[in-house]
Amino acid sequence: MLRRSLRTQITTRVLTLSATVAVLLGATLILLIIAVTGQRDAGRIAFASQKALTLTSRLETSLFAIENGLRDYVERYPTRPLKPVTTLLKAYPGQQRALAQEVSGDPGQRARVTEIGVKINEYVIRATPLITLAKEDPEAARNQLFYTDTRDRVEALGKDLRDLADRERTLVAQRENHAEAQSTLAIAFGIGGLGLVLLVVAGGTLYLRRAVVRPVVSVAQATGQLAAGDLSTRVPASREDEIGDLARGFNTMADSLERGQAELERSNAELTRSNAELEQFASVTSHDLQAPLTTISMYAELLERRQAAGGEGAADLIDGIRGATRQARTLIRDLLEYSRAGRGDLTLEPQGAEVALDQALEALAGAIEATGAHVRVGSLPVVLADRSNLCRVFQNLVGNAVKFTRGDDPEVSIEARPDGTMWRFDVRDNGIGMDPDSTRRIFEPFRRLHGEDAYAGTGIGLAVCERIVEQHGGRIWVTSEPGAGSVFSFTMPAAQAPGGEPAASAPPPVTAAS
Amino acid sequence: MRALAPLLALLVALALSSCGGGGGAGSATRADTVPVRIGTKNFTESEILGELYKQALEAKGLRVDLQSAVGTTEVTNAALRDGLLDMYPEYIGVLLSEVDKIVKRPAGEQAAYRLAKGIEQRRGFTLLQETRLSNEDALAVTNAFARRSGVRSISDLARLRTVRLGAPPEFENRFEGMVGLRRVYGLRKVHMIAVNSNKGLEYPALENGGIDVGLVFTTDSRLAGGHFTLLRDPKGLFAVQHVAPLISRKALAQHGPILAATLNAVSALLTTPIMRVLNAEAVHTPVREVAAAFLHTHHLGA
Repeated sequence: MLRRSLRTQITTRVLTLSATVAVLLGATLILLIIAVTGQRDAGRIAFASQKALTLTSRLETSLFAIENGLRDYVERYPTRPLKPVTTLLKAYPGQQRALAQEVSGDPGQRARVTEIGVKINEYVIRATPLITLAKEDPEAARNQLFYTDTRDRVEALGKDLRDLADRERTLVAQRENHAEAQSTLAIAFGIGGLGLVLLVVAGGTLYLRRAVVRPVVSVAQATGQLAAGDLSTRVPASREDEIGDLARGFNTMADSLERGQAELERSNAELTRSNAELEQFASVTSHDLQAPLTTISMYAELLERRQAAGGEGAADLIDGIRGATRQARTLIRDLLEYSRAGRGDLTLEPQGAEVALDQALEALAGAIEATGAHVRVGSLPVVLADRSNLCRVFQNLVGNAVKFTRGDDPEVSIEARPDGTMWRFDVRDNGIGMDPDSTRRIFEPFRRLHGEDAYAGTGIGLAVCERIVEQHGGRIWVTSEPGAGSVFSFTMPAAQAPGGEPAASAPPPVTAAS
Repeated sequence: MRALAPLLALLVALALSSCGGGGGAGSATRADTVPVRIGTKNFTESEILGELYKQALEAKGLRVDLQSAVGTTEVTNAALRDGLLDMYPEYIGVLLSEVDKIVKRPAGEQAAYRLAKGIEQRRGFTLLQETRLSNEDALAVTNAFARRSGVRSISDLARLRTVRLGAPPEFENRFEGMVGLRRVYGLRKVHMIAVNSNKGLEYPALENGGIDVGLVFTTDSRLAGGHFTLLRDPKGLFAVQHVAPLISRKALAQHGPILAATLNAVSALLTTPIMRVLNAEAVHTPVREVAAAFLHTHHLGA
């Protein structure tokens, strides 16, 4: 993980680029320093060699002057001054040392200077005793002049020194050329290095533009689109670096926004629907409750009037009041039921639909018997549902089927079949049916297609069913035609995949909040 | 931190070297490396002696700067007195007569040594132990000349009308030279012709008649051939010439007892016959090799 991030992180790449530029700049700097040093060396070599050449010629002059002065002194003793010779004798070691310092570092040249030093020493040892000798015995000293080889030695030394100078000139020329060539080469490489630095910087900038700036700009544009409301905007997020992280973060945010938006729309629709429901509920409730209250009030007035007239026949009026009261109570009970339905916690557990249906049929036994309806039950599955709620759905649907019968021999059948991850239940009757336009409206609370006189009921049952089914994640609908009976269908989540092998163990109970 | 280590080492090394340069140890080392400066006169025998002393000292680990053929006795001795040399092998007779200008002959060879040593001691020099090698000056003629003129001794030269005498230039001014010949033997008609004796030109000059009489050294190997007659020296003008190293006492003090001990060990080996052999070898062998072979034989060489 660390290795991968090191390889791919933009930080790493930027660092690498910076390091490369730094190294290249450093190398270029070193090359330029070498170039300057080379130039300076060339100048210094030329200067030192000029000094060395001057010193060579000066030393040669000194030696010849010593030889000539010494001979002159001895030959014409005591007429000639000794001072020029002694001055030169004091001066030459300094010249010799200076020459040794200034001559080029070439080993051959140094060896030559050393050799010349030895020869000068030999010459001095042989020549200068003549001065002492001349003071003691001028005649003997003059005789020595005839015999001594000091002139040969001085001439040989002169030749050696000129040879040294020639070689020094050659060497210095070589060195100067070398230093200048080195300097030129270093300058060339330095300029090349600068060019390379420019190339790397330009390339790096282009690369960063492509690898960093453009993806960031695309994310920024996507953000703009997102802000403008296009929640489906996404950016490519395949990269394994910071840009990738940014893109993934953006996409996650967009997903979250989109989900939130959908959620909002859904709950908004829900709110609108429930608001409409509430409005209708209020009007229906006020209207439907008004009816028994008006009845009660009317009967009460009649009763009062009859009582005032001392008349009789109060019993039917009282029955009427009782009936209206019952009607109001029923209405209030159904209201309560409806308001409870789909509210509160559900205890979802695998439930045998057959058990729930049996319980419903038991409750409807009176009505079924009264109508003489024939109820047929198919093979029913196990679903994930709240038992009492499922029972309520069956009770309402079968109750309706039994209630809205047509003529003789009413029949009701209950069947189930798989529908994706759900089970679909069909409650079929051969009753009065309904206009297809009404198939949606009948699920609204207190919506009745018929007068209460024709069919009893408050019109709350289907609304309750819809609430329950939707709370379970299913849906409910009806297919019908007037006179051709109706099929009420609803879906419930399967306890296990429909048509699959039974689960080895039942899934754990799930508690869902409304 | 680790990168600093070489830097620190360098600094320490620099500090140590700069301290060492000023310390007493440095000057002691310098004294050890000062060479013994040996000079020789400008003829083969002196050069052989110089090489012998040089190589023996070097075998003992001393540094030697040998200046071969510095010049004549006068120049070589002046170089010693001027402080240009530390020592050179000297002939005691020459030292007394030519350098110290002592005309009166000492009673014997030992007396001459003691006299010369005493004089040199006062000047800041000394004579080390003398060799048994004696190279005397002598006058030689060809056997033919001797027969023709009947000359057998230096005194006989006075009988001749003119005599051409070949000798190195310094002979003109030496007592053991033209001065002595005139004073002691009364020779007036002898004319000196300067000859480069270092190149041994007396012998061919004698043979081709360029000179009548030549100054030779008694250790010269060319005398062994029997072509030449050495003239007798009845008045003892030419002194017995034992060799001894003439050395500055300052050099002796500077280099310690090893210097004198080594030079004495070489001197003890040298005799006149040995020197004649060495001279003979040096005619066709480089002086350096002659000396090396001799020292090797006597376990004093490298």
